[in-house]
Amino acid sequence: MSKDHFLEVRGLKKYFDTDRPSFFSREARHVHAVDGVDFQLRHSEVIALVGESGCGKSTLALLLMGLEEPTEGYISFEGRDITHLNDNERKGLRRKIQMIFQDPYESLNPTQTIEEIINEPLVVHGIGNNKIERDERVKKAMEDSGLKPAEVYLQRFPHELSGGQRQRVVIAAALVLEPEILLADEPVSMLDVSIRAEIINLLAELRITRQIAVIFITHDLGSVGFFADRVAVMYLGRIVEIGTMLEVLEKTQHPYTKALISVIPVPNPRLRHERIILQGETPNPIDLPSGCRFHPRCPLAIATCKVSDPPFITLSKTHQAACLLLVK
Amino acid sequence: MSIQTVEVKAKVPSPSTNFWQTYRQSKLGIAGLVLLLVITVIAIFAPVLSPYDPKSSAGVGAGQVYNPPSAAHWLGTDDAGRDVFSNFMYGARVSLLVGFFASFISVGIGGTIGIVAGYYGGRVENILMRFTDTMLVIPDLPLIVVIVALTKPSLLNIIFVIGIFGWTTTARMVRSQTLAVKSRKFVLRARAIGAGRRHIIRHHILPLVMPILVVQAVLVVSVAVLNESTLSFLGLGDPTALSWGQMLNYAFARGAMSTGAWWALVAPGIGIIWVVLGLTLVGQGLEHVLNPRLDTHHLMPGRPVVVNHEASGESEKPTEKNPLLEVRNLSINYINEGKPPARAVENISFTLKEGELIGLVGESGCGKTTLMLALLRLLPSAGQIVNGQVIFSGKDLTALNEQEINAVRWKDISIVFQGAMNALNPVRTVGDQIAEAIIKHMPGFPRDQRLQERVIELLDLVGIAADHKEHYPHQYSGGMRQRAMIAMALACNPQIIIADEPTTALDVMIQAQILELLDSLRKKLGLAIIFVTHDLGVVAEICDKVLVMYGGVTAEYADVDIIYNESRHPYTQELLKAFPDLTKPKKKLSSIPGYPPRLDALPIGCRFAPRCRLAFARCHTEQPLLQKLNDSQSAVHIASCHLLEVSK
Repeated sequence: MSKDHFLEVRGLKKYFDTDRPSFFSREARHVHAVDGVDFQLRHSEVIALVGESGCGKSTLALLLMGLEEPTEGYISFEGRDITHLNDNERKGLRRKIQMIFQDPYESLNPTQTIEEIINEPLVVHGIGNNKIERDERVKKAMEDSGLKPAEVYLQRFPHELSGGQRQRVVIAAALVLEPEILLADEPVSMLDVSIRAEIINLLAELRITRQIAVIFITHDLGSVGFFADRVAVMYLGRIVEIGTMLEVLEKTQHPYTKALISVIPVPNPRLRHERIILQGETPNPIDLPSGCRFHPRCPLAIATCKVSDPPFITLSKTHQAACLLLVK
Repeated sequence: MSIQTVEVKAKVPSPSTNFWQTYRQSKLGIAGLVLLLVITVIAIFAPVLSPYDPKSSAGVGAGQVYNPPSAAHWLGTDDAGRDVFSNFMYGARVSLLVGFFASFISVGIGGTIGIVAGYYGGRVENILMRFTDTMLVIPDLPLIVVIVALTKPSLLNIIFVIGIFGWTTTARMVRSQTLAVKSRKFVLRARAIGAGRRHIIRHHILPLVMPILVVQAVLVVSVAVLNESTLSFLGLGDPTALSWGQMLNYAFARGAMSTGAWWALVAPGIGIIWVVLGLTLVGQGLEHVLNPRLDTHHLMPGRPVVVNHEASGESEKPTEKNPLLEVRNLSINYINEGKPPARAVENISFTLKEGELIGLVGESGCGKTTLMLALLRLLPSAGQIVNGQVIFSGKDLTALNEQEINAVRWKDISIVFQGAMNALNPVRTVGDQIAEAIIKHMPGFPRDQRLQERVIELLDLVGIAADHKEHYPHQYSGGMRQRAMIAMALACNPQIIIADEPTTALDVMIQAQILELLDSLRKKLGLAIIFVTHDLGVVAEICDKVLVMYGGVTAEYADVDIIYNESRHPYTQELLKAFPDLTKPKKKLSSIPGYPPRLDALPIGCRFAPRCRLAFARCHTEQPLLQKLNDSQSAVHIASCHLLEVSK
């Protein structure tokens, strides 16, 4: 393991049990939410995890946060195995890895003031010797999150703020712990386009000013340009293509990535282009397709795709994709 | 959306400060509070207020037994010649004391069991809830009677016994509320922060369960008062403490009935009714504060048009020959009690031809949804069309009566609401629900095989295979549910469909599928579509024309190509810049600083001026008029900006 991979994930799996199809059935069935994911994250790197709903990206985030226990696999942080931790060890780690949730309307407690919300992590971790010290930290986190001047917001309640402001509150409540990794699970998908840009720019700034690494989870490849260093595309619990942002966007290899890119709306009618619209939706992750998981929806599938599971093909030092068409 | 904003701002009180203001609106709640206050004051100050000492019949002559009400004894005297009114006042002390303390114990036990069971789940929950169920099926009053009969009938014992048998309902209610709160995202966020269970229960679960505890506490007091009265009436009360139940017991046992001394029975009876009524009403008042949604009205037909003068000819409006729909200078206000009306939509004009797709674009709260609801006169009751016309096939929809507009809704113009895909009835098949939509709007439709064929035809139109007809909504994915909603909107062959943010909550791939579907429908059926969205990228893919709204007014209106390549309004330009362009992935996104104006605090001048990089003095004082721009091949290009006047 290289030293600068300070977060490393190997063979991570999470299966959820489902109800048996019938009382007499002896076969136990699983939802293969995350089914063998490997990747590394460097200091202050931004990696985008992209995929449709049901591809396991949110479960992956919960696994990384330790909010779900993995079924199999290994996660390490700064060289330390953090796959299974007890409550105390986990709590210590939470100062280093923080998370932003999708829905800023739901992820704030409506009965708390903004000050209480942002101060709470400090109370939980017993940070700061006195109120003045904590207030200072709260204020800094707020202003770094674009809630300026902080005094205006402190005594307000979440319902008095707009969606964008609420998401800033969520970000401030994560920043106040001064984490090294920020997991952002669809942080902008509930927001207006004009506000999305602000939040993405804010995250981009934070990785520069605070050296925070960001794992940005989204279904929209369009929002990752400019800000992500690397992009990992997920399908049915696995990464199907991973590479630098330019490699994935401009030297796209996997047919799934190509389709995802083709449906990103282009804000100009003169550039209307052929869209590869995949029919149907991600199959349910209980009965996985044989061979390549993508073959039932793949416009380029050949006979062998039905039988053999494609290996990861290395295309460059940083670029890999799992598709049988790439096997030479 | 703007409607929600207005409502939210008006309805949701900040948790503590506006408590009293909201409570005050409930007349019954106030009545209950007055009842309780009076009886509590009487109870507390009984020694001062009561005309006689309840324990002695001093001052009362020997012949005063069961004396009827008189000037000296307002409520007469009892069998021992004691003043009933004084007894009544002292009785209030004991009854309320038992009520409040027993309730305190009950709610304490019930709340703890409910929260622990709900939050911890698993085996803990199983054991606790089975125990609760067992307690619930045991009839508590007989059990209380037995236990009190076996123990020493002291006041403390009675409080305890009533308290530990009255918690079951509270436990069940608190548990279900805890389960609901536990699944909310802010609890997950608290866990992610590193908060332990105790912290989460104290800071996140308890504050949201508290409203239920308070209401329960109030209701349990009345149950406890009743239980105590029953016990005392049965002769199981504390003989040293004179409660209302005790008064009834004595009066009953000592011949009040046979001597016709009704007052000895009526006084304590009224006391019990008084307290129970007061508590129930207060419970209702609290419910009003804690659950304001009970009172909010949903979509109700808007108020009739009050002012409808012909618009002044100053501003430009699009002209087109024989449009299917023409909206002329439409303005909508929200009535704000005690405040000037909020001008949610002002002077909007556009036209729509057959088979045309118009994009209505703007940020949240800019009046898009209000405008769409107004077209069908579905505004919430505070909304009012104050000016303008909506001409649909020669008729002005704003001038129709309720019956006439009903004939237009759904049959000519239908609407797919934002998030409506989550509004399907979960216990009925999708096919059934589509059939119902057909019957509801076309009562004459034959209810035989032809109805089923029509459902299949509609499903086929939106790309759902016929065998999914018998499936339930939970078997559908989000994208399929949205397709089903579109099928419902198509049920009566409308000419126009209003699609309000139909793709906002969907993945990009599903979004592309829905866009493709809408595009094919208009080609196949000649449908005209009004597509409401905040996403300019989506609009560019399929629309013919675009109306960009800001703060309730038209910013710019033109053919889609002009909007994207020759836009003149700074807001349109900024919106475009905020859009990630994948052809230039390295480019930093530009954002529009600030937020759209609140409808109750609109700027005096141009509504966009506070956020506009190009604003100059005039923009802050004077609202720009709509300008017709003759710049290109576009049939019509309208924008409202002072910069455009200067250049003209």
